[in-house]
Amino acid sequence: MSANATCTYQAKDYRSDLKPIWCPGCGDYSVVQGIYRALAAIGRPPHEVAFISGIGCSSRISGYTTAYGFNTVHGRSLPIAQGIKLSNPDLLVLAAGGDGDGFSIGGGHIAHAVRRNMNLTYIVMDNQVYGLTKGQLSPTSQKGRKTVTSPYGSLEEPVNPLLYILAYGAGFVAQACPSDLAGMSAIFEEALRYPGFAFVNVQSPCVTFGEEAQQMKGLKAITETLDSLGHDPSNRIAAMDLAQHYGRKLHLGVFYRNPEPPPTYDDLVRERQAELAKGALPKERILDLFIKQ
Amino acid sequence: MAIRGIEFSRLSLMDALDLAILVEEEAQERYEDFAAQMEQHRTPEAAKFFRYMAANEAKHGLHLAARRAERFGDVPRAVTRTQLFDIEAPDFDAARAFMSPRKAMEAALASELKAHAFFQSALNAVKDPGVRALFEELRDEEVGHQGLVQAELAKLPRDKGPSDEHFVDEPTAQ
Repeated sequence: MSANATCTYQAKDYRSDLKPIWCPGCGDYSVVQGIYRALAAIGRPPHEVAFISGIGCSSRISGYTTAYGFNTVHGRSLPIAQGIKLSNPDLLVLAAGGDGDGFSIGGGHIAHAVRRNMNLTYIVMDNQVYGLTKGQLSPTSQKGRKTVTSPYGSLEEPVNPLLYILAYGAGFVAQACPSDLAGMSAIFEEALRYPGFAFVNVQSPCVTFGEEAQQMKGLKAITETLDSLGHDPSNRIAAMDLAQHYGRKLHLGVFYRNPEPPPTYDDLVRERQAELAKGALPKERILDLFIKQ
Repeated sequence: MAIRGIEFSRLSLMDALDLAILVEEEAQERYEDFAAQMEQHRTPEAAKFFRYMAANEAKHGLHLAARRAERFGDVPRAVTRTQLFDIEAPDFDAARAFMSPRKAMEAALASELKAHAFFQSALNAVKDPGVRALFEELRDEEVGHQGLVQAELAKLPRDKGPSDEHFVDEPTAQ
């Protein structure tokens, strides 16, 4: 609940004094703008928002907002975001990072974050390369891609983030693209409003170390909005079917939104705390636990 | 460029005006974003040009908004920004580190060509005579804008210095 419900916020209220220093043309500039707009639409004051990121170019994002920010350890944005949500459930919690941070170094955390279903939003800026360290193969790099760590072309199939997270049972899965700033902001807003774990994959090409086919011109040729396909976002199987096209088609929109969201972990913890509190000793008798009668 | 849920064959004049205003608004925002990126990366000439383009888009938007207000007052909009993207705005990845004024103008010219193609393509489906006249006017304005940018480009010397690619560090193994 907002501490100041009568106040309205504008996108600029979430912009910090720190100026982004991504490469010019990077899609992450649009992502941060989209986040400002989504937060303004929701209207929670910056001090009620916690923005947690990992390590990488895109993980700088938490510093560019006026929310509480924590640029954490590589791949650990989700565990820290969950800890923060659990200790202060009233905060609106966002986690963000790149594809390497999320699906390789932090890949093991995803399954548990999804199944735990805390009420938080995870945004991945997927550029199919490790950009900050100058262009190594990342978990979403296409098979055959030549990089300094795969000079003869990658032999591995890329991770499919959409299918992966849908398969673990996430209640909200969407994909956006920085060229569609208004559409992306609307998706972020929807994700933030979803009561449970929400995931948004943003195709944000690396203008410096990315491949030509992965730049915006190449992506435009394969872009289709899910609305235009008549996709029903309450149909998880249809969502999984469409998610299989990752890497070949760029589908924008909400793949899946659980029409009956289950209780979140944070709700269940509060319920459990309330139940246990009934049988708890009053404060003045706590020492009785340690003193033999 | 993309349009969602808008059928040009059934577009009213009010919706067409609103659509045109939103197109200008998107382009203005993208140019402002580019200008900020250039300023941050110490490329003042390109930043200045993008600020100039943003101001032009704002001016066109205001002009269209005045026409819309005169004709339809404060009737609420039926179209929204989420229904369109990348119509007249330059592609977000058209900005480059240390881009020359020539490169900046080329990016603007590409977006003017894109806008022209959009209105031309929409005209194939438009039926309302008022909308047709408006879109023809906007399409022809894009031709005028292209001419202005091309004239400015002709005044510029060819880029002699290192291109933006020269500023990219060599990839390294981890």
